Amino acid sequence: MNEAEFSFTLNDRPVTLNTRASAMLVDVLRNDYGLFGCRIGCDQAVCGACTVLVDGTPMAACSTFIFEIEGREVTTIEATGQTPDPVQQAFIDARGFQCGYCTGGMILLTRSLLARHPDPDDDTIRAWLGANVCRCTGYSSIIDAVKAAGRLLRQEAVR
Amino acid sequence: MSVETLADPETKIIPLDGLAKVTGSIRYAFDASLPGMLHAKLLRSPHAHARIRRIDATKALAVPGVVCVVTGEDAARLPDPHHGFYVRDQPLIAMGKVRYVGDPVAAVVARDEKIALAALSLISVDYEPLQPVPTIDDALAPGAPLLFDEPHSGPALSVGKGSWSINEPSPNVLYEYGYARGDIDAMMAKASHVSHDSFIVSRINHFHLEPYAIIARTEGERVELWTCNQDPFMIRGDLSRIFGKPVNSICLHSAPIGGGFGGKSYCKLEPLVVLMAMKAGAPVRLALTLDESILTLTKHAGVLTLTSGIDDDGRFLARRSELRMDGGAYADASVMVAVKAGYRIPGPYRWDALFSRASIIRTTAVPAGSFRGFGGTQVSYASECQIDLMARRTGLDPYELRVRNLLEVGEEFAPGDSGMDSDLRQGLDEVCHRIGYHQRKRQKGRGIGLAIGLKDGGGTGNHAQAIVTVSEKGDVTVSAGTTEIGQGAATVLCRIATRTLGLPLSKAHYASIDTDRTPLNNGTHVSCGTVVTGSAVQRAAEDVRAQLLAFAAEQLQCTPEELKLDGWAVIKGNESFSLETMIRSWFGGVGYSFIGRGGMKVPYDPASPMRARNLFWMPCWSTAEVEVDEDTGHVRVLRLVVGADAGHAIDPVSCEGQVAGAALQAYAQAMFEELRYRDDAVPDNINPRSYRVPVAGDLPAQFECFVEEHGYGPGPFGAKGIGESGMLGIAAAIANAIEDAIGARVYQMPFTPERVLAALDQLHSQKQAEPAS
Repeated sequence: MNEAEFSFTLNDRPVTLNTRASAMLVDVLRNDYGLFGCRIGCDQAVCGACTVLVDGTPMAACSTFIFEIEGREVTTIEATGQTPDPVQQAFIDARGFQCGYCTGGMILLTRSLLARHPDPDDDTIRAWLGANVCRCTGYSSIIDAVKAAGRLLRQEAVR
Repeated sequence: MSVETLADPETKIIPLDGLAKVTGSIRYAFDASLPGMLHAKLLRSPHAHARIRRIDATKALAVPGVVCVVTGEDAARLPDPHHGFYVRDQPLIAMGKVRYVGDPVAAVVARDEKIALAALSLISVDYEPLQPVPTIDDALAPGAPLLFDEPHSGPALSVGKGSWSINEPSPNVLYEYGYARGDIDAMMAKASHVSHDSFIVSRINHFHLEPYAIIARTEGERVELWTCNQDPFMIRGDLSRIFGKPVNSICLHSAPIGGGFGGKSYCKLEPLVVLMAMKAGAPVRLALTLDESILTLTKHAGVLTLTSGIDDDGRFLARRSELRMDGGAYADASVMVAVKAGYRIPGPYRWDALFSRASIIRTTAVPAGSFRGFGGTQVSYASECQIDLMARRTGLDPYELRVRNLLEVGEEFAPGDSGMDSDLRQGLDEVCHRIGYHQRKRQKGRGIGLAIGLKDGGGTGNHAQAIVTVSEKGDVTVSAGTTEIGQGAATVLCRIATRTLGLPLSKAHYASIDTDRTPLNNGTHVSCGTVVTGSAVQRAAEDVRAQLLAFAAEQLQCTPEELKLDGWAVIKGNESFSLETMIRSWFGGVGYSFIGRGGMKVPYDPASPMRARNLFWMPCWSTAEVEVDEDTGHVRVLRLVVGADAGHAIDPVSCEGQVAGAALQAYAQAMFEELRYRDDAVPDNINPRSYRVPVAGDLPAQFECFVEEHGYGPGPFGAKGIGESGMLGIAAAIANAIEDAIGARVYQMPFTPERVLAALDQLHSQKQAEPAS
């Protein structure tokens, strides 16, 4: 009933599914693709626990309709599998998490930030991270993780 | 205590759950599902106070996909359908009456959440509205409407020497705790200066990001739950009583928890979901929204009135306190919060006489209960603000007044209680040094404030059990009931075990928790994981180590004393023997498990005011520098420096993280965060768009957290708990800094521009009223 076909790229893989056009991206990712790293927190685009990258830009999957991503590229925290990329490694090294519920969103946000500002200053980091909520860390360790990730990525770029 | 200290194999601690958390593969209770699972949604009261005349769910039940509707009528058939700590006044679901906006009235179980949600609006409830009781004053006014018609049966919590404990002492008062020592009137009469002040603390929500989620499955006599609750064994006990079932027929599974801060402790909606599963004949999942979380539990708001007398030398003589805390509609953990608040009123200082009374007042608001700090945040705020006020009123430096009265290391907090186990002066000097307190220069609109928050830790008479298992390959499994809620318990407890065994942390695994197999634990509260559960784990690891040495000694035909563990080998003289080889050659087959057991129990002691000596103390040395715009009342925190004492930091990075996280929660409460109610007891901002929590941009320009290791802790390797420390002194340090900056005192949290301006206005009118000298 009212289902339509949607095609998009999910973690570098082309996918097609039939679903209601009113389906929310977060539900599709979790229920159709088992990508539970896309978390439901506030479900109102405030907390950012559901952050995914759509064509490299952070978006709240809880408030994104499936039709909005037709033909676009969606990246979730699961894209790297169990092999941490430099940003994920930096979050482990700097302990940029506690309960872990916001962590996937924070990491994706950080990737997007560092793609635009490879060596961000404190104000830029605080402004970007302000898109998401972490209730555990007090943000200090996340800010440290972002800086460490920037260093790792810049080293990689030099090589 | 450890019989020998093995070389620590760790140079840098890599958290055991780090990879799962950064790759998104970790699973929380919110992510769980069962085959054939149904979904529930709750209909909540729009009234603050009303009788339920009738509930008609006929139309809801006719919706395709709706399986059943559960109401108070179903709950009334259970053996004991109420819960609450010491005062069991909260029904599984409203029974005859609602007592706050958001009180669950009916639950719909359906094929999916959308159907359940749609069916809610088809339930018709006939309410007889009653007068709401929005505030503490309203509740205590003569002739105030009563939330409960009858008192509740059952004994009051036992307390020790000098304390009293009374359930429901007067109308709309849930509980009263009191503590007295010394001759309060005589000492107050001796005082050369007496200060009398009232402070108002605000109501905040935990705002844990993982919404509350529960799945229940009932099969025959068996009840199984998957819940994000911090206290699986406590909930098992509640379910056993409520449903009249033996504890071994009930099993709770605990996944890692997506934040809690107290919001997921004590019994919540678990019994209701079990009731739904029973009625539906299928597994049922209830996941709250974040809005509903805000309607589930808050931190206690309150009015804290202190009268304190000091002598000419600035020595504290006597303190009288009247603490009235808003418990909201139901008891939850309020009794314990009152006890802890009332008893902590002296703060980290010596007093000759005390008289402290802490009452929980019932209002038609969201129930208040456990929240990081647990009464300690509120009391530290009031106490540390008043100490600053007394210093300013008597012309003493706030630092100097504190130093003259601080407890020394080893000095009893109260007669019969344990001694101070932190060097309070050292911590205070450290924050002063870091912020440059003694070098500060007067600058208009700028000020620096100090505070030392204090809370007991580890729990009253607490206990825990643990099992440490070691395989033939030296793989270590730690099994204990402390839930991993982001505090890093899995890593710390595994590190305690591996350090005791001299094995690398990477060899350890923290077992998943279920109440069938996991050793019992009182719950993940009161910063007890490292010391209470950690001690049980350490003893279990020592038990395993003794078994390993005994086994190896038998194999090598010597005594255990001749052997020394060295990684996964034993050393005898100059020779090293592989344990794996010995174990495999003796046991054959698929290998062997050495199983060590350990326990920790803090004994009860009626000679101690809390009925058990406190396990450890958590000071929070805090200092803030603020800039206040006197035209707008805007306060900017330029620097916030916060320190705590871990005794010995088993995982230093996570200790700092605990302090920083708690400090920011307290900072937000001081500056802007608040769950507001309107005059008619209707909440004003119960959704994440209007309930503001701090984001990275809200951080003070400079935010510094540090962890001291004073070495006096009772836990493994000298550790103390630290989880709640960072909350305690922040708000007072900021309020004290504001007064330092502008000369005016803001008594009420949060310190909004309006309140700052009002305080300035009051100051100016006072100055005008004073005769010119």
